Amino acid sequence: MISLPARLGALALGLALVTAGCGADAGGSAAPAGQTVQTLRYVAVGAPATAIYDPHGGVGNQSDLTRFALMYDVLATLQPDGALEPRLATSFEPDDQLTTWTIRLRQGVTFTDGRPVRAADVLFSLNRIADKAAENFGRMAMFDMDASRVVDDHTLELVTVKPYAEVPRALASFTFVIPEGTTAFDRPVVGSGPYRMTGGNAQRAVLERNERWWGERPPTPRIELMAVPDPQARAQAVISGQADVASSVSPATVQQVSGNPGLKVVHRPAVTMYPFVMRLDREPFDDPRVREAIKLATDRQELLDKVFLGYGKLGNDLLTPADPSSPAGVPQRTRDVARAKELLAQAGHADGLTLELATTTSYPGMDTAATLFARQLGEAGITVRVTTAPPDTYWTKVFAQSDFYTGFFGGIPFTDVARVSLLSDSPTNETAWHRKDWDAAYDEAMATEDEARRREALGKLQRELRDEGGYVVWGVGDGLDLASSRVSGLPDGPGFDLAFIEQVRLDG
Amino acid sequence: MTRVVGMALVRALVLLVAVSVLVFCATELLPSDAAQSRTGGRAGAEQLERLRAELGLDVPAWQRHLSWLAGLCRGEAGTSLVTDRPVVQIVAERLPATLTLAGCALAVAVPLTLLLAWLVGTAAPRWRGPLSTVVTGVAAVPQVVFATGLIVVFAVVLGWLPPVSLLPAAGAPLFDLELLTLPALSLAVPAAAFGAGLLGGAVADTVRRPHVRDAVARGLPRHRVALRHVAPFLLAPAVRVLALTASALVAATAVIEMMFGYAGLGELLVSSIGTRDTPVVQAVAMLAAVVVLAGSAVADVLGAWTDPERGGVRAPA
Repeated sequence: MISLPARLGALALGLALVTAGCGADAGGSAAPAGQTVQTLRYVAVGAPATAIYDPHGGVGNQSDLTRFALMYDVLATLQPDGALEPRLATSFEPDDQLTTWTIRLRQGVTFTDGRPVRAADVLFSLNRIADKAAENFGRMAMFDMDASRVVDDHTLELVTVKPYAEVPRALASFTFVIPEGTTAFDRPVVGSGPYRMTGGNAQRAVLERNERWWGERPPTPRIELMAVPDPQARAQAVISGQADVASSVSPATVQQVSGNPGLKVVHRPAVTMYPFVMRLDREPFDDPRVREAIKLATDRQELLDKVFLGYGKLGNDLLTPADPSSPAGVPQRTRDVARAKELLAQAGHADGLTLELATTTSYPGMDTAATLFARQLGEAGITVRVTTAPPDTYWTKVFAQSDFYTGFFGGIPFTDVARVSLLSDSPTNETAWHRKDWDAAYDEAMATEDEARRREALGKLQRELRDEGGYVVWGVGDGLDLASSRVSGLPDGPGFDLAFIEQVRLDG
Repeated sequence: MTRVVGMALVRALVLLVAVSVLVFCATELLPSDAAQSRTGGRAGAEQLERLRAELGLDVPAWQRHLSWLAGLCRGEAGTSLVTDRPVVQIVAERLPATLTLAGCALAVAVPLTLLLAWLVGTAAPRWRGPLSTVVTGVAAVPQVVFATGLIVVFAVVLGWLPPVSLLPAAGAPLFDLELLTLPALSLAVPAAAFGAGLLGGAVADTVRRPHVRDAVARGLPRHRVALRHVAPFLLAPAVRVLALTASALVAATAVIEMMFGYAGLGELLVSSIGTRDTPVVQAVAMLAAVVVLAGSAVADVLGAWTDPERGGVRAPA
């Protein structure tokens, strides 16, 4: 009907419009200003929608945690081997009872706005952390904050509820210090740390070196920190050159990029754990023979190989194998299906047992772990039906509620695990591990000043939990960070260590 | 004309309130709440209740929604339940990214829609069938599949463009063609195919009208026929279809932003639903609703104004 020339004309017009439409937006694609300053581009785990400026509540995003670790001083940090490294604090001295601790602070430290960092600022910050107990798992629960006080500008006195020998470790890593009286957290709060925030926002922050920081001068003048929730997107950002470091990538990605000379992988040992959780106050897990049978029916090697693709360590039902207090010389539990069947028969389940195992997709591989485990238990005569909860309901409907589910620990120290999940009054005692003797022995251990004896006592408690408790710890996965080969000095310790990136170096 | 504008406005306003109620109810019906998101499952029942009271979550749902609406009338969008940050601030951080993406996608989608519709509508009868099948086929491909296809071809196989579009933290981040191309095309092409499927029929009908045949028979040049005798009749349907296409495109940004790790409003909406951050969910949903409703209101008004049979625009002689 309409001739070919007219149609071609329309086509040309359309194409011209298409080109013009996007071409107009292409004006700024030249190198952004500031390219001359050497910049480390770090992509961290984080949901941009939940990015925050308040360092004292529940810091769920690693991107927020890393930004806080760059912007604020903490009282101390833990080295990869668990040794304490004093930071803003120079000493922690207890009284004879181990209940009153005198903490001395470094002199001459200032916030980036010029104000001095005083003991009052530290106490204010600790009080805020204590007030937000619901969100930060009761991080200050061992302290009686009302009885704690400022002694002078560089000294404060903290009082614990019970004798507590691990106060320095309790004050490590998370004690971000902000100025006393800060009330506005809808914008970045000034700090005294190795970097200061100079641009961007909570989800994409620009940080520049604080030239007046008291510590060793950070090698990188500028850091850009981005929050990206998807592990694949984080890895792709580094592979495609949009970023220099991506934290927490999947084991599959690490396998794919092995042999790529432009990339390197940093292993943070023993940071991811998906233990299977059994409630001791519910049938059939109230019977210790059933619990042991399930532990014996587990093929740990297969789970490690298929869930973490071998990047990790075999589990021995110990919840904190990387903790300095973890007991040594405990024989490795191995698979014994025949013995498992025998124990089940003794417990009255000779003709089988049917269980429901809940899991989720919150962390990569949690669903795979549950499916594999279900099949392994099937070989011992236990029929397991797996149900998968979406991430947003898992934490409220399954975690610390279900009788039998796939749990999660992220490489926190034993004392933290005990406070959150193992003592009778723990807020989420998910295995219903209520033992008066165990609680008393824990208190006694924490009242022991001698470190070697204390660790031995804590180790015994971990051994008891391993033998009789409700956790099947089949393995611990490595934290896997992907980086350009120009990057060096990335942290490789457990727990909070990954957030302290101020000594990371970028060559070339 | 005033009546048409007035009606469109009233309808848009009623629909907006209805959308806010629907969104609120939907968020409310989901299990779990913002207090539980904040505590990450590791707080005791007592602590949780205290936090709920602090956040105002202990108040009945209908009261919360009413006070939110009242706040909105005063121009206050409230505070995020999860981050304690002002909703306006959170949304403002994301708005430029989404506007840029949607703008770029529309800049491709609008001409592409018109072009495809023209091709389908004016094709010779034996080509029209296959052509419209292809267009309908592309329109039927879910955005996720289409985006994946583009990523596989342009990022993985050819390596021309990055598979993710992380916005840089500094500089002028929003005008980076490399980052925008794949997400914008993922939005634009299916939307254009969808629009062309609708508009193609109107084009075909118009070119068969007697006055067009008459004009052709009188030997008028083809482009004159197209401009003077066909285009005016297509203005009204084209505006309606383009408004619809734009709405569909805006709605699809959520999926595409998630796929490309592009931190815009769509990604904010999805994440905020996940954390049950009702004020943020409401704000983004209302913003999207305003865009969609404004689009259709404009289409209604323009449609009435440009319809040649109502005598809005001078009819061809």
